[in-house]
Amino acid sequence: MKMSKILSLILAVVMIASTLMACTKPETPENPDAGTADLAGTYDITMWVSEMDGVAAQFQAQIDAFEAANPGIIINAQIEGVTEADAGSKVVADVATAPDIYCFAQDQLARLVQAAALAQPGQKATETIKANNDAGSVAAASVAGTLYAYPMTSDNGYYMYYDTSIITNPESLEDIIADCEANGVKFRYALENAWYTASFFFATGCHSNWTMNQDGEFIAIDDTFNSDEGLVSMKGMQKLAQSTCYDSNADIFTDAGVVITGIWNAGAAADHFGANLGATDLPSFTVDGKEYHLGSFTGNKLMGVKPQTDAKKAAVLSLLAQYLTGEECQNQRFASFEWGPSNLKAQASEAVQANISLAALALQNNYGQPQGQIHGSWWDIAKVLGADAKAAKSDADLKAALESYAATIDGLFQMTEEQKNAWGVIGGICGTSWDVDFAMTEVEPGVYVSDVLSLKAGEEFKVRQGASWEVNFGVEFNGANIVVEADGNYKVQLEWDGAQGGVVTLIPVE
Amino acid sequence: MKRLNDLDYLKLNKFDAFLYKLKLFFCAIPLWFKNLGLGILKFLKNCGIGIKDEFCDIGYTFKNGNWAVKLSFFIFGFGNFYYGQIMRGLLFLLFELVFIGYMLVPSGGLYWLAKGNWFKTGSTIGTVQGGFKYDPIYDTDVWVPGDDSVKVMLYGLLTIIFIVAFVVTWRMQVKQCRICIDITKKGKKVRSGKDDLKSLLDDQFHKTLLSIPLFGIMAFTVLPIIYMVLVAFTSYDAAHDGYSNLFSWVGLEHFNELLDFGKGGLGLAFGEILGWTLMWAFFATFSNYFLGMFVAIMINKKGIKIKKFWRTVLVMTIAIPQFVSLLYVSKLFDSSGIIGKLIGQIPSVSEYLTSNHFISLWDSPIVAKILVIVINIWIGIPYIMLMATGILMNIPADLYESSRIDGASPWQQYSKITLPYMMFVMGPYLLTSFVGNLNNFNVIYLLTGGNPLNTAIGTAGGASVGHTDLLITWLFKMTLGSTESKYYMASLIGILVFVVVAVLSLIVYNIIPSTRNEEDYK
Amino acid sequence: MKNKNQLQKSLSASTSRRLGNTVVYILLIVMTLVWLFPFVGIVLESFKVDVRGMDGKFIPGEFGFDNYIRLFKETDFFRWFINTGIMGVATAVLQTFFVLSMSYVLSRLRFKGRKGLMNLMLILGMFPGFLTMILIYKVFSDFGLTMNMAPVGLIIVYCASSGMGYYVSKGFFDTIPKSLDEAARVDGATRWQVFRKVIMPLSKPIIIYTVLMGFMAPWGDFMLASYIIHENSAGMSVAVGMYEWLSKTMVNTNYTMFCAAGVIVAIPVVSVFLALQKYYVEGVTGGAVKG
Repeated sequence: MKMSKILSLILAVVMIASTLMACTKPETPENPDAGTADLAGTYDITMWVSEMDGVAAQFQAQIDAFEAANPGIIINAQIEGVTEADAGSKVVADVATAPDIYCFAQDQLARLVQAAALAQPGQKATETIKANNDAGSVAAASVAGTLYAYPMTSDNGYYMYYDTSIITNPESLEDIIADCEANGVKFRYALENAWYTASFFFATGCHSNWTMNQDGEFIAIDDTFNSDEGLVSMKGMQKLAQSTCYDSNADIFTDAGVVITGIWNAGAAADHFGANLGATDLPSFTVDGKEYHLGSFTGNKLMGVKPQTDAKKAAVLSLLAQYLTGEECQNQRFASFEWGPSNLKAQASEAVQANISLAALALQNNYGQPQGQIHGSWWDIAKVLGADAKAAKSDADLKAALESYAATIDGLFQMTEEQKNAWGVIGGICGTSWDVDFAMTEVEPGVYVSDVLSLKAGEEFKVRQGASWEVNFGVEFNGANIVVEADGNYKVQLEWDGAQGGVVTLIPVE
Repeated sequence: MKRLNDLDYLKLNKFDAFLYKLKLFFCAIPLWFKNLGLGILKFLKNCGIGIKDEFCDIGYTFKNGNWAVKLSFFIFGFGNFYYGQIMRGLLFLLFELVFIGYMLVPSGGLYWLAKGNWFKTGSTIGTVQGGFKYDPIYDTDVWVPGDDSVKVMLYGLLTIIFIVAFVVTWRMQVKQCRICIDITKKGKKVRSGKDDLKSLLDDQFHKTLLSIPLFGIMAFTVLPIIYMVLVAFTSYDAAHDGYSNLFSWVGLEHFNELLDFGKGGLGLAFGEILGWTLMWAFFATFSNYFLGMFVAIMINKKGIKIKKFWRTVLVMTIAIPQFVSLLYVSKLFDSSGIIGKLIGQIPSVSEYLTSNHFISLWDSPIVAKILVIVINIWIGIPYIMLMATGILMNIPADLYESSRIDGASPWQQYSKITLPYMMFVMGPYLLTSFVGNLNNFNVIYLLTGGNPLNTAIGTAGGASVGHTDLLITWLFKMTLGSTESKYYMASLIGILVFVVVAVLSLIVYNIIPSTRNEEDYK
Repeated sequence: MKNKNQLQKSLSASTSRRLGNTVVYILLIVMTLVWLFPFVGIVLESFKVDVRGMDGKFIPGEFGFDNYIRLFKETDFFRWFINTGIMGVATAVLQTFFVLSMSYVLSRLRFKGRKGLMNLMLILGMFPGFLTMILIYKVFSDFGLTMNMAPVGLIIVYCASSGMGYYVSKGFFDTIPKSLDEAARVDGATRWQVFRKVIMPLSKPIIIYTVLMGFMAPWGDFMLASYIIHENSAGMSVAVGMYEWLSKTMVNTNYTMFCAAGVIVAIPVVSVFLALQKYYVEGVTGGAVKG
């Protein structure tokens, strides 16, 4: 009793002291004692994991193992099954009572960060995670260069399951369609889901890149779907969508000759195709004599920790999340559910290497686009394209569909005057790569200053207005990038005359 | 327009008679509006008179009251004490003390009111934003909670309601003083606390019985509705959820979004969905009504045996939870479902499907719309059938007997006796079931989820728009079904729908004969 | 004495009636088939052993009780069932009290503001109900009435505003002659005594009707329940728990189990309903007559 009182008193003093030290995020001093505090205690936690049969039970077993490995820590976990695809929107609906640890698909990361529903892993944890997981999964768990979640799988991609006795040439979309039609079997491909629709656009080199600021707000988009290449993509999609063998429900295998799906259906695929099971990368389609290999999104499942008011519990949760996403647990999950690991060592294991589905995924990943952070509305906007391609009667219809897509996307970015006038620092700095605007505030008329940024020698940056390149300063107006000369913490200052005259200076901060 | 006399009217042929009636109807419209205007004027005038009367009354009470009455203008209940109504006086006094205490204690009424920045456009609701702080000992971020806008707004609203209640109570006890003054002037005795208690089981019995249900309605319907109306003027959505990020007052900003009639615009989507919602409610209500009645007549026909069996079979649909049967039926009509497969094999159907590149029946907007209405008939007929059965039994048998003697055919009997009787009796039910269908979430959500997608609109308000989406399912998608969770937009649209539907049905409700003449039918 | 003409007429009348009845029988039989089809389908589906997903076949390839065994061994279905049962009973009791007092007052007592109150409740009922849930959820979550305590929260939600559904029972009370009350009042009974001693005994059908409706509400509600329960399987009702089995990722393994659960859920509701059907009809018709 007394002991705990003293402890909490000390804790309070330390907390106040740390408040007084008032350090902003990038310049938190290195703390040699970080993470060495005693974490013993009993913790009641809630967890959301995949709703699939047996997943919850395995997580419970892994938590037991964690307790055994960390004597003194007792965890009473209440584990619920919640689809990873929905977990994010349910967490956002009520952050205060959200589960302490939850698993979610990476596309929800931006929203979760914006809603302050994710606690960053500590400094040590961040280093460990970055070192142990593949680069794609680390990027997927990061916003504006900051890691927010714990990568759990690297298998959230799709590829092709097919019947080897029917499909003669799995390389060509046209041949596959012909085989399916001839044999009266279905080509199952969920083209009315933007996640899959995008593959046709990636094939022709279109992209949709979104820029986000530190708060997880989207501030710009670079989208080339509405282009000549995009039209080619629509034509390709039309070939499949208007075929009699096409079925947009790719979650069932009834009558299927080909199913474009992911590893979560590996079991169902094996049941359905039996000895004729084939798995490989997506085919190519031909338009105007040119061949395009279908692309895909590569994605991850992540584990998130809810922000805690109690530092000790936060530390325990972080430790637990690291354990649950570590090599051992990922291997177990692969063995039981065929979830492809994100952990580098687990990926190298023999069992993973020998898996036919993961092999197909690996093949397809050569054409994959890591699924960065995408605006939540995009999924709804882009999925319409699949339906449009199916309904289109002419090329003009296809073109119209793309134009209305582009108009809707632009509509998402009707910036306020305030946003258009705001200045920001952008560059290959603080772990970002020219995709984040660090905000600057107007301290006196015509003088704009950023927060403290920790910059490294050789890094380059510019400042720009309204997240667009129309008005920007490097060494001069619209000039070359500014190069940082020495490591250190700086504020970036811009003195601007309202037109093309301006000076950018780096102010070192101790 | 000249009104024809009866004789001239009867001379007209059917078509002309119809035209004449139509003309009459349209000519009546200006008059109708005039009456409406006059009504509003009268109402305003009455309000003005009412307010003036109130003030006169208060002034009179203060002037003619003794010291106790005057004191009770400031300290509640003194007038009641003076006239011997100890219990009432105590209650009033207690109320005032509680009110003052609540307003003044730290984190009481004034505190919450101040935090709300009420209606200051651009200000946040709540003043302290939560945030992260790094804890070096544990190498971890901790969350330092700030205000929760949702709560700040709620407590602010409750405080405002409390203030209103305070004013009303003040008025009430002043009025009671006035009554006491009048009664004692006449030399009668005022009511004692015991009388009050007794009357709660007698003259004032309605207050006793109503208190709990009304409290429930106030707390769980009225208060949340007021709250949601306020939300329409804020920026409450997933990105500003109040707890992690405070939301703020934005004034009328969102109303502009409603005027966007381009693709993906809210105006377009709203119009389209409202149109289908009304159409759906109309067909769902009346198809059920007429077919249900027809089935009831069939089952009750003379000479039909095992009536109870037929009825029981139908009633099973009511008894089996809707979500089970609806989900099952929606799968039945899927491309791989039993019925869907069967229908899909009919040549003309399969040709229609393939020529439009539809996979299942649910992909065709028009077929999907027809299907939900048909399946809703399947759900709804048993209810109407049961009700109609009872009503049919109530129609006096001699009516039929005498009409039969007069040589009426069964069809004439139906159209001249059964239908009018049913219409009269079930008028209010039709209205409530129409409104119920406007908000029929279950049938649409479980059957189609609003699909197929309406590609002409795409998404609006952060949610995709489907051909079978009703307003309520769209609102659901907009708030709980998406990561955008645009609460402010949903409440804005909710209010609009509410106003339209409420006005329409109030008019209808008050002109239906069976409700207007409540006392007639006994 | 019938002359020939009359005889013929009545003969033809009886044949036409017989013909009419045949047509009606045929229609009724067709209708019965249409109405029973889904139920038979669900029951057959629940006995399928060879598949766990949808196979598009009506008759199982192999019969067995595997789905039912799985239901109780591998899932929390039993818990959900009990939760919903408790909610059903509690809602039935409380809601009956709310609805009856409301409708009795509106039918029997005349007081200032009565008409206004009725109009108010009519229009309040038109507000999309779940919008109000956004606030109610937040408040409940503060008081700990969500997640595993969701059944309690839901009972409150189902009952609190149930007074607004007074139409049917008010209609029923309207049909009880007012002279009965007046006679009792003349004999010196207070209104409370009239309510208890005169009206209640005559209101058995409508009480049972209201109880029945209250009992069935939690079994069918999905929207409000899924919001308040917020993914906590200890607090789930059957509707929310079972809905997830038909989600895209689970339908392949849980479809037949869903049907088995549907059959079990239907048993209590159907049996209560069939047992009390007579009162239901009396209540609803008595009520609808005046709506």
